[in-house]
Amino acid sequence: MKRKLLESYKLLIIIPLIITLLSLGILVTHGLEESVDLKGGSITELTLEKKMDQTELKAFIQEKLKIKDVNVISIKGNDATVQMGSDIQVDEFARALEGTAKIKSYRSVGPILGKEAMNQIYWAVGFAFLFMSITVLIVFRNLVPSLAVILAAACDIIIALGGMSLFKVPLSLASIGAILMLIGYSVDTDILLTTRVLKQRKGKITERAIGAIKTGLTMSASAIASMSALYLVTVFLIPEAEVLSNIAAVLIIGLSADILTTWLMNLGILRWYLEAKS
Amino acid sequence: MRRGVSGFIREPRTITLIILVVISLAAISTLGIPQGLDLKGGSIIQIQLEKPVDSATMNTITSVLDKRLNIFGVKDVKVRASGNQNIIIEIAGVKPEEVAKIVGSPGKFEAKIDNKTVLTGADIVSVQSPIIRGNQWEVPFRISTDSAKRFAEAAEGKAGAPVDMYLDDRLITSPEISPDVAAGKPVTDVAITGAESTRESAELKAKEVETLLKSGSLPVKVKIVGVSSVSAELGGEFAKGALIAGLLAIIAIIIILVARYRTPILVLPIFFTTLAELILILGVAAIIRWNIDLAAIAGILAAIGTGVDDQIIITDEVLGEEKVKRRRRRFRIREAFFIIFASAGTLIAAMLPLAYVGFARGATGIGMLAGFAFTTVLGVLIGVFITRPVYAKFMEYIIK
Repeated sequence: MKRKLLESYKLLIIIPLIITLLSLGILVTHGLEESVDLKGGSITELTLEKKMDQTELKAFIQEKLKIKDVNVISIKGNDATVQMGSDIQVDEFARALEGTAKIKSYRSVGPILGKEAMNQIYWAVGFAFLFMSITVLIVFRNLVPSLAVILAAACDIIIALGGMSLFKVPLSLASIGAILMLIGYSVDTDILLTTRVLKQRKGKITERAIGAIKTGLTMSASAIASMSALYLVTVFLIPEAEVLSNIAAVLIIGLSADILTTWLMNLGILRWYLEAKS
Repeated sequence: MRRGVSGFIREPRTITLIILVVISLAAISTLGIPQGLDLKGGSIIQIQLEKPVDSATMNTITSVLDKRLNIFGVKDVKVRASGNQNIIIEIAGVKPEEVAKIVGSPGKFEAKIDNKTVLTGADIVSVQSPIIRGNQWEVPFRISTDSAKRFAEAAEGKAGAPVDMYLDDRLITSPEISPDVAAGKPVTDVAITGAESTRESAELKAKEVETLLKSGSLPVKVKIVGVSSVSAELGGEFAKGALIAGLLAIIAIIIILVARYRTPILVLPIFFTTLAELILILGVAAIIRWNIDLAAIAGILAAIGTGVDDQIIITDEVLGEEKVKRRRRRFRIREAFFIIFASAGTLIAAMLPLAYVGFARGATGIGMLAGFAFTTVLGVLIGVFITRPVYAKFMEYIIK
């Protein structure tokens, strides 16, 4: 059954491609939410000194600070998370809340800084991808297999971005970090596959591929398992540590996508290439 | 088997790893792991200057801000430049509101005689470098002609009376009026002088007064563009949560490995290699005083994740097919290392731009992520050159 599936590889290449296109579609139509880091604004964790519900707190802040764009994200017991559109001066904010709540953490990013960060992100991700591609080309010195690896990594990133758009994971410094991490992780399995299939002399291509799949799936499974642990802990125990849960979420999506892109697409292209060559 | 163990232990790589782990443990326990502000609690304030400045002006501005924060009793402050237009202020406590006030206001310098203001920061034209003679110090500065006249009028006939100098309404120093000025002669070049018990303290005092005079008016307008503040309590929760997450992540990996290999002799070494890697990364952080923050923790996770991947590759290469002879086994490990080096190379290549932004631009914007990139690269290098080769040796010697 496994072998039979492996023989119809040309058709299987289409599956990851379709998912990539779907992700691209979601990304284009829904777009990405931007976190405070990038769009500017303030986000704060408060300890409430008296009981309040979300609308009360929202109205209170709106009135005290005379701003409209207030979003009370959550209230759990005495802990509240509030996001505000503009970069409120923190001293002003602390004064306004006196007697009502204490600031546990506060983050505000001016629009200039956010724009600058966004700009740096484009460059960093662009160059990261370029450097990765060059390294892959140097390692294999073989155009088609190298391009297959690079294409797989590109699809992983697009699917991860599509997933972020779908599950409303905001684009933030943390999720960008995760995307860069994904470049490293996803290329791992692709390099394993390419090396095994191209370099090993013994056995048929299918046999070598099956060996690589076994190793690769163990790798992906352990990475996904550890990221799931990270995700669950941060979501349930420390919801304030969004940095970590965002990273975990992006990697879980990206690594799952990587299983498809590596073993259906990259492997398919490699086999097609070897077949055409011989 | 026994010969395998003793051969493995005697390998130079194994001995090196053991020594490094011991050194790291010693470093961690004596020096401690430096924690980032988001774990120990604290605030980071990002300031942007009105326009880019040269490094001399930048130095003046940072030292003025540093001095002012110290004068106002904000403890444990670090003020550093980030690029040519940004300044980062780090404070151990959560006092961004206080800092915002101190930094945000332009700084009010006043000199009073008999409680009447005779000079303000606006009157100061320039401040020269201090002059030290033995334990005597002098800070010359120049005031405008009009201010000099006003000062002379106020000081007339009051030789020896104190001039009280205030910065933001705090009394800083009270030099005496010189006989010259008391005679009613307007002087534009004035100086604050004093004496300390030693030359060192005279230098220190003079520097302080110089900064104070300058701080009355920063050369460039500043604006707070970003604040990030975490209470110590929440930081503690972060640290605890990260630890739990790390442990659970390792357990999750072990479960997957047990399901795949079904024997402790394969799973335990992976666990110990991972542990050694973690200890080495933290050891390096302790020695070079690299702050471990949430981003760095993510970097460590990334490095350890690829580490486990690499060990799975080594294991599968060696166990791959039918039993292989030792010489053949070495060859296969070499093949595994080809994959490992290639993937380490791509990961480092992908992280370089991020590290560059961080080091070139400081911690503004995505510079924050430089910590993540640096830790990942550090972890991968430690893994590729130190821990994974030992694991490979283990596979070579011990696995039958």
